[in-house]
Amino acid sequence: MTYQPQTDFGTPASKSTGMVSLTIDGRETSVPVGTSVMRAAAEQGTSIPKLCATDSVKSFGSCRLCLVEIDGRKGTPASCTTPVEPGMIVRTQTPHLAKLRKGVMELYISDHPLDCLTCAANGDCELQDQAGAVGLRDVRYDVQASHLGQEKDHSNPYFDFDPSKCIACSRCIRACDEVQGTLALTMAGRGFDSMISAGLESDNFLGSECVSCGACVAACPTATLIEKKVVEVGTPERSVVTTCAYCGVGCTFRAEMRGEQLVRMVPWKDGKANRGHSCVKGRFAWGYAQHQERILKPMIRQSISDPWREVEWDEAFAYTASELKRISDTYGRHALGGITSSRCTNEETFLVQKLVRAGFGNNNVDTCARVCHSPTGYGLKTTFGTSAGTQDFDSVEDCDVILIIGANPTDGHPVFASRMKRRLRGQDGRPPAKLIVIDPRRTDIVRSPHIEAQHHLPLRPGTNVAVLTAMAHVIVTEGLADEAFIKERCDWDEYSHWADFVSLPRNSPENLQPVTLVDADELRGAARLYATGGNGAIYYGLGVTEHSQGSSTVMAIANLAMATGNIGRRGVGVNPLRGQNNVQGACDMGSFPHELSGYRHISDGDARALFETDWGVSLDPEPGLRIPNMLDAAVDGVFKALYVQGEDILQSDPNTKHVSAGLAAMECVIVHDLFLNETANYAHVFLPGSTFLEKNGTFTNAERRIQPVRKVMSPMNGLEDWEITQALAQAMGLDWNYTHPSEIMDEIARLTPTFAGVSFKKLDEHGSLQWPVNDAAPDGSPIMHIDGFVRGKGKFVVTDYVPTDEKTGPRFPLLLTTGRILSHYNVGAQTRRTQNVVWHTEDLLEIHPVDAEDRGIKSGDWVKLASRAGETTLRATVTDRVAPGVVYTTFHHAVTQANVVTTDYSDWATNCPEYKVTAVQISASNGPTNWQEEYEALSERARRIATEVPAE
Amino acid sequence: MNSAERLVHMANQIATNLATDDDPVSATADHIHLFWDPRMKKLIRQNGDGLSPVAAAAISRLAETQSTA
Amino acid sequence: MNVRISGDALALACGADAVAKAFADAGATVERTSSWGMHWLEPLVEIDGVGFGPVSVNDVAPIMEGRAPSIGRIEDHPFIARQSRLTFARAGKTRPTSLDDYYATDGWRGLAKAREMGAAATIDVVLASGLRGRGGAGFPAGIKWKTVAGAESDQKYIVCNADEGDSGTFADRMVMEGDPFMLIEGMAIAALAVGAGKGYVYIRSEYPHAIAKMEAAILVCAHLIAPFVVEVRVGAGAYVCGEETSLLNSLEGKRGEVRAKPPLPALEGLFGQPTVVNNVLTLAAIPWILLHGGDAYAAFGMGRSKGTMPVQLAGNVKHGGLFEVAFGITLGELVYDIGGGTDSGRPVKCVQVGGPLGAYIPPAQFDLPFDYEAFAAADALIGHAGITVFDDTTDMAQMARFAMEFCAVESCGKCTPCRLGSTRGVETIDQIIAGKNIEANLALIADLSETMKFGSLCALGGFTPYPVMSAITHFRDDFMVRGKS
Repeated sequence: MTYQPQTDFGTPASKSTGMVSLTIDGRETSVPVGTSVMRAAAEQGTSIPKLCATDSVKSFGSCRLCLVEIDGRKGTPASCTTPVEPGMIVRTQTPHLAKLRKGVMELYISDHPLDCLTCAANGDCELQDQAGAVGLRDVRYDVQASHLGQEKDHSNPYFDFDPSKCIACSRCIRACDEVQGTLALTMAGRGFDSMISAGLESDNFLGSECVSCGACVAACPTATLIEKKVVEVGTPERSVVTTCAYCGVGCTFRAEMRGEQLVRMVPWKDGKANRGHSCVKGRFAWGYAQHQERILKPMIRQSISDPWREVEWDEAFAYTASELKRISDTYGRHALGGITSSRCTNEETFLVQKLVRAGFGNNNVDTCARVCHSPTGYGLKTTFGTSAGTQDFDSVEDCDVILIIGANPTDGHPVFASRMKRRLRGQDGRPPAKLIVIDPRRTDIVRSPHIEAQHHLPLRPGTNVAVLTAMAHVIVTEGLADEAFIKERCDWDEYSHWADFVSLPRNSPENLQPVTLVDADELRGAARLYATGGNGAIYYGLGVTEHSQGSSTVMAIANLAMATGNIGRRGVGVNPLRGQNNVQGACDMGSFPHELSGYRHISDGDARALFETDWGVSLDPEPGLRIPNMLDAAVDGVFKALYVQGEDILQSDPNTKHVSAGLAAMECVIVHDLFLNETANYAHVFLPGSTFLEKNGTFTNAERRIQPVRKVMSPMNGLEDWEITQALAQAMGLDWNYTHPSEIMDEIARLTPTFAGVSFKKLDEHGSLQWPVNDAAPDGSPIMHIDGFVRGKGKFVVTDYVPTDEKTGPRFPLLLTTGRILSHYNVGAQTRRTQNVVWHTEDLLEIHPVDAEDRGIKSGDWVKLASRAGETTLRATVTDRVAPGVVYTTFHHAVTQANVVTTDYSDWATNCPEYKVTAVQISASNGPTNWQEEYEALSERARRIATEVPAE
Repeated sequence: MNSAERLVHMANQIATNLATDDDPVSATADHIHLFWDPRMKKLIRQNGDGLSPVAAAAISRLAETQSTA
Repeated sequence: MNVRISGDALALACGADAVAKAFADAGATVERTSSWGMHWLEPLVEIDGVGFGPVSVNDVAPIMEGRAPSIGRIEDHPFIARQSRLTFARAGKTRPTSLDDYYATDGWRGLAKAREMGAAATIDVVLASGLRGRGGAGFPAGIKWKTVAGAESDQKYIVCNADEGDSGTFADRMVMEGDPFMLIEGMAIAALAVGAGKGYVYIRSEYPHAIAKMEAAILVCAHLIAPFVVEVRVGAGAYVCGEETSLLNSLEGKRGEVRAKPPLPALEGLFGQPTVVNNVLTLAAIPWILLHGGDAYAAFGMGRSKGTMPVQLAGNVKHGGLFEVAFGITLGELVYDIGGGTDSGRPVKCVQVGGPLGAYIPPAQFDLPFDYEAFAAADALIGHAGITVFDDTTDMAQMARFAMEFCAVESCGKCTPCRLGSTRGVETIDQIIAGKNIEANLALIADLSETMKFGSLCALGGFTPYPVMSAITHFRDDFMVRGKS
């Protein structure tokens, strides 16, 4: 495909179902009511000149190029702001219009540098195109005043702002306002002096509120806001649509290429998850893919005290296979295990779990969802019957009440947050949706431009179940439950049992206030609003799951949704915001030790038989080890080999010291990754991985949407990840012969009822598909449980509040909770290797002013963060965003090793670690802890790569 | 906490969270049956010190079904 | 002795306060009234209906002693006698914030009538009156009201545009300073007709006396218009905020930037709700219309221009002031017969009607009748009916430049023709004034004017070409002579 920008229809599509017929330039056309004349023309292939209009934002009517003549109308109305009317007769090209457009263009060009040939946007500039389209041949003005020669703003690491090229169309401002919702940009001055400004005059882009989502850059019709990469490389010459490999929103992008070089990632307007929007990570932070620290050759070593030795692929596979065989022969097949990656494709994940089950001969396979959304799988499967969210993202457009619990969408899921904020601002003309936020911190969405939560419940970390039970108490005892819904869709006896439980006086908000620290009146208000405010939707994140009662909280959420009838239609539902790009997919693919793909228990003989026949092996009917169990077993000396694909368990898993002890006890740790990550410090084999840009496959996002990942360049390491897993399997003697990931997907479809209708061909046709895709839902399932729950009757589960065993006391009086920040992703392996570091150079500890003062701590001071598990140092920032008694930090930087502090406590049902509650003490410090220094030294040793073959 | 102690802690935690179930012992036994690997089940049968009454009953029940299975 | 002296800003500027104090010091009872609107006579002093003016402090003793020359009975003064004062019926006669005076002069009777007949009938009366928007566009007020009345909403607004920024205009100011209850009554009637609960009067900050009078009046009469509530909002000095959509943005606290229409403010106006935006003079005409009937109002005027227009005579004119008259009077009558020609005594070169965006009209066209359609046909506009008179010393090339400069200074910057075109216009006229490429630059100005006229988003850019092109058309010599110097 040669490069072409996506078609721009000028104004957003109308959602109306009624149609209007009109005539444009003699051709009759029919479009939905509310469509602009401009869009109607564009849809019939008539291009009306335009500059200030773009279909991602509302019409503005400022450039005056799109003027048309309409029979019976005075003057020359702007086609972008004129809605179609029945029988309208429109002329888009007349001598009068041509003269006006030329006159307007002459004005534009009189204030624009005539440097097209050396301009970075040459060939991709709407001003240039339109100047050609209107036939401007001459600028007659003897120009005195102009905006030329102004200084460029290079402050943003990814794009430049050149005010000299600005045509003041406001598209950037409107994109920031309407699409992103940050409202960072404004028009300063007026008249001729009108200038785009990032906040105050003293602000540059980097210093402003700008979150670098790139919406303004995408909206800019000139080179005023342009990617630095385009400035450096030139305009792209082809594009490939693919899916972002960062968070679980699953934005689709056009990877715009020049040869094998990626020039830029531009959000794909037809993408159903992101609808043309992006965030700083997906849009810009892909430089890690070519980072100099990326490992491109396989490496092996006998002992982790040895330096690495680079080898050819064949040797790496042969060596690894022989080690695995040796260990299996020596310690038994249960001494082996594998970890699938939520960062890799469905096909790759499926192969890794297949390697473990069919090749290693056990079920010791787990995935990083263990440490994030495993409670979602358990909780929603138990209550609804499906281990996934109930809605598509579009559903948020129909919400009346949004309840966010334990999620920080503006940082963690920014693109969906923008859609949510759009609904919360009521931008579509309907009254804005109401907002309830349950979070120990005052996250940005609690109060942001034109948005303010009706209720923020700043609960004490670890008391989610108590808060949700208290809400249920209010709903049931005040008669707000939707009994008709419950009678029809749920098991009434189970409901009654649950209702009796939550109605107990001990579960009242007033009684639980000392535990939750949430004001009882505020909580009652929130419960009433959710129950009676119309369509109520719950969005939650790891603040729900990463607790000792993570699974209980998920079920408590499901109970609330069922009790209020908020399930089974648009605008409602229970929506886990998934952390990683393919965490949903990794779970779907059978990455858990107790489940085959499609969430069928390993003890299910029929399901097992299906796989056994297809794979020609017999499968172990007993569940295997979860990640923490593997580490325990390793310390016990019975677990010896681990194949880790695309996960850095040392940095991301809790209680770092325990993880390192487990890894150190193994004899063959195989790390399959892009970089020498922290886990690789303990590895014996390093298999260099490929990035999402270098392979084909699919990712499944938080709304169950399966989306194609398309190879845009050859793998720098030589092989796609699925090829590496296959070669390893072949070296172990398995007869695998996949020639393309589509064949793996065919196998998945063959073996997994919810994926029965999925194929690469169908994905190409549809763009994406939401599972289940089967005979009953051949085009997929945007909303689940419409006519009843997947499990039959919705199941109410009593969730009694059980306090965590991690308790504060005199030694550790504060509660630490952890989270993430917009510019970084997870352990930062990718984002720390991009310019995103300008926004967040280190992990900071947020501490309330009262707690800070008690300890004599000021913002910027080094502090020691200590728990029963360990201690680390980092710098403090004093803020009332956290409540007194609560401290908060991120875990993006290896140097901080925040997980040195977190404990072994975990969710009762799934062993998902209790990251969100650790009792800690904070004290002044003047440098790194012993652990940090020792670890630093170890890392340095462990990362050595031999420059030549060792003498011995 | 060593591995055996951790397993006891886990079993007790499961029993506590299933205490409101109609049959907490069966529920706890089922849960362990469905999610624990055979070695863990064996370990806890051997080292049951510190198990809560419900958890202990569940482990015994599990042992019966395992041996009869 | 009872002495009546205007408290109007113009009278104050001419020294009315000092005169009033001198009368009070001399033992007279002084009443501060509204202004009669004869500017050359201010401070005008009225004693028992007889006028003296302009009066200085030195004239006080002679007047009190009965030895000063008077102008005779004010009501019989030809400037007043020739008028048809409907809107300005109380001008000079009442104390602005006195409810008693207002009641005594038919005050609140229009509102009572409207309450009696109900919303629909009220709109019918306004429709029958033929009243057109006095802000400039001349859109029928009744039709606008009907649109708002028909829109579905819990909250509708009445917005009174009192951002009177046109050069040579002062009628809005005189209403607000002199007869604020009349305006409030007009707004209350509008509110009743369309179902609005809240009204705003958007007054330019340059009118401190008007703001004070309006606020005082609103306080006094709040109970009479309840549940309707009126509030004064003060502009921040931008001419373009007199444009209705910019005004709405400004009222909402946003940048005073023009909105594209549709949506019409009548359907999606203030805070997105159905809104009547009417000029002060439009709303001020309403109480009379309600009291006397639509037909009575429509009996005045000509063609489709019904009723009376408060014409404002200013600039280089001998008898400047407020002259309310039925549509149809010619420009010549207004300039020569009423205004008495130029103040300088030199020949009239031209007049500009309708503010800084109005066309310059040469004496050759002074037979033009004051009528929306006749003016439009002559490429001129009535606008807010300000007439500014210029004598023959005026350099029309400078006046054309001024028009472009005014547009450049006041442009909100949203649309390209106005944002860039006005500055390019100034630069190009400077070229002409400097004698460079005059013919080519005049052609460029003609093209630019066409671009601005048809391309601009609002009337600021759209009407700037009128003064520019009329200056060039009628006074081409003022541009051509440059080449010789």
